Amino acid sequence: MSIGLLSKSWREAWPTTLGIGAAIFFVEGVLSFALPKLQEQVAAPLKSMPFLQNIIAAMIGSDPNQPIGPAMFAAIPWVHPVVLALLWAQATVLCTRVPAGEVDRGTIDVLLGLPVSRGKVFLAETLIALLAGALIVATALAGNALGAGVGGNVLRIPVAHLVVVAMNLFALNIAVGSFALLISALSDRRGRALGATIFVILVSFLLNYLAQFWDPAKSVEWMSALQYHRPLPALQTGTIQWRDIATLLGAAIVFWSVAGVIFARRDLATT
Amino acid sequence: MDVVELDSLTRRYGRRRGVTDLSFSVPEGSLFGFLGPNGAGKTTAIRVMLGFLRPTSGVARINGLDCWRSSSRVKADVGYVPGDLRLYPWFTGERALRFVGAVRRMDLSRAGRDLAERFELDMRVPVRRMSRGMRQKLGLIMALAPHPRLLVLDEPSSGLDPLMQERLREHLRNVVRSGSTVFFSSHTLGEVEQLCDHIAIVRDGQLVACAPLEEIRRKAGREVTIRWKPGATPPTPLPSLHVFERHDGEWVASYDGAIDDLLTWLRAAPIDDLTIAPPTLEALFQRYYTSEEKRA
Repeated sequence: MSIGLLSKSWREAWPTTLGIGAAIFFVEGVLSFALPKLQEQVAAPLKSMPFLQNIIAAMIGSDPNQPIGPAMFAAIPWVHPVVLALLWAQATVLCTRVPAGEVDRGTIDVLLGLPVSRGKVFLAETLIALLAGALIVATALAGNALGAGVGGNVLRIPVAHLVVVAMNLFALNIAVGSFALLISALSDRRGRALGATIFVILVSFLLNYLAQFWDPAKSVEWMSALQYHRPLPALQTGTIQWRDIATLLGAAIVFWSVAGVIFARRDLATT
Repeated sequence: MDVVELDSLTRRYGRRRGVTDLSFSVPEGSLFGFLGPNGAGKTTAIRVMLGFLRPTSGVARINGLDCWRSSSRVKADVGYVPGDLRLYPWFTGERALRFVGAVRRMDLSRAGRDLAERFELDMRVPVRRMSRGMRQKLGLIMALAPHPRLLVLDEPSSGLDPLMQERLREHLRNVVRSGSTVFFSSHTLGEVEQLCDHIAIVRDGQLVACAPLEEIRRKAGREVTIRWKPGATPPTPLPSLHVFERHDGEWVASYDGAIDDLLTWLRAAPIDDLTIAPPTLEALFQRYYTSEEKRA
C-alpha cells in the first residue's frame, strides 16, 4: 500500500471527519442527556398519537405495540434524523471524492499521472473512508456515553450495549459509503454523484416511514437501509444483530466490488 | 530504440473523433515535438499513452509496455505535466514534492529545491494563492524532480513568461543530454522549432507528418509576403514560389527554393514592401495538405 496515497487521502478526509465528528458528538451528547429527562413529558402526548409512535417504533426497531418506555428514549439518539444526516453526509462526502471529485476538480490527471495503479488509489480511498467512518461512529458513541453519564445515566445501559449499537451504525455507514463510492465511480461530476446518493438515501429513509401506513411500501421495505439498523433490541439485550450487520456489509461488498471494477476499467481524465 | 510507439491508435468519444489511426514512434534521447492546433487530438493521444483512456483500437506502448494494461509500470519512468494543470488546493510546493516523493518512494527534496531555484518558485506558497504561471512551474518541478526517463509535457510553457519559457527549454535540452527523452506537445510551431529535433504533426485527429525537424523545415520553406508598388504589374512567379493569396496588390506565398534565386528575382521586381518569415502552423498544414493532395 502506498503511504503517499494514504496520507493524501487522509489529508483530504480529516477536515470533514473532524467537523462532522464534533457535530455528531455534540448532538449525541445532547440527545442522550436530554431525552431520558423528557420522557415523562413526551410519553403522554406520544400515546395519543399512535401514528407517530408507529414511526418511532419502526425507526428504533421495536414492536409498535410495545409500551413507551425508557429504553425507547435511549434508542432515539441512534436513529435521530440529525445524527443519521450527519453520519450519511460524512460517508457521502468522503466516498464521492474519487473518482468523481477528482475528475470534477481536474486533479485526476495529476493523481493518475503518477506511477500508481487505480487499484491502489481505490484501496487507499477505501481504507481512509473506513477509518474516518470508524472515528465518526466512535465520536457518536463517546457523545452518547458522555451525555448519558452527565445526565446521571438514569437508564443504566451498559457501555457494552452501546458498543453493539455503534457496531451496527458503523455497518450502516459502510453500506452508505460503498453506495456513494459506486455512484462516484459512475460519474464525472461530484455534485451529481452527491445528489444521486442523497436522493437514494432519502428514498430509503422515507420508505421506512411509508411502510408504517402504506401497504405497497411494506412489500419493498427490505430495501430501506434503516431496516437493518434497529438499536432498541441491541440496547436492551446487548446482543449483536448479526443478521442486520451481515446484510449491510453484504450490500456494501457488492457496491464496493462493482465500484472497484468500474473504477479500474473506465476512462478517467479531466473533462 | 523507440521509447514511445503508437501503432494504428484510434480513440473515439462516442460519435466524436479523438484520434484516428495514429502511428509513429519516438526515438530514445530525442526531443520530440507533438504539434497540432487546439482540438487536433494531441491531449487524447497523451491520455491514451498515460493509461487514462482506453484505445478504441490499436495500441500505445512506452518502453515496450502496453500503456493501458501496464499503466502503473509504464508511469514509473514517466514524468507528466497535463495541459490543463490543476493541483490540490492544499498543496504547497513542499507538500507537493513530499507527496510525489512518497508515491515514488524517492527523496525529492534536493532535486525539488534546485528546480525551484531555477524556476524561481517559492515552495512555501499554497496553491490557492499561486498565479497560473506559478502553478505551471510547480507542475513542471513535480514532473522533473524524479529525473524520469521520459517526460510527457502537454503545452508545458502555457502561463510561463518568455524568460521562464527559455529556462524551461534550456533545462529540457540538459535533460535530453543526460539520456532522457522529452515528448513535447504544443500548438506553437516556433516553440517546437526552437527546441525539438523530431516532430509529429496532427490535425483533425490524424497524423499529417512525422519526421526530423530538418526535413520538415526543408519541406516547409519560408512564408513570403510581397506588397507591389501601386499600379505595377507583378512579374511571373518563380516555380518554387507558390502564391496562395493574391489581393489588393499583395501576394502571400510559400517559397521552398534556393534563397539566392529568390533574392535575384525580388531585386528585379517592383516591390513596395516585403516580409520573409518561417511559416505559421496553419501555413505549414496547408503546405502538407497540398503536397499530400498532389501526391494523390
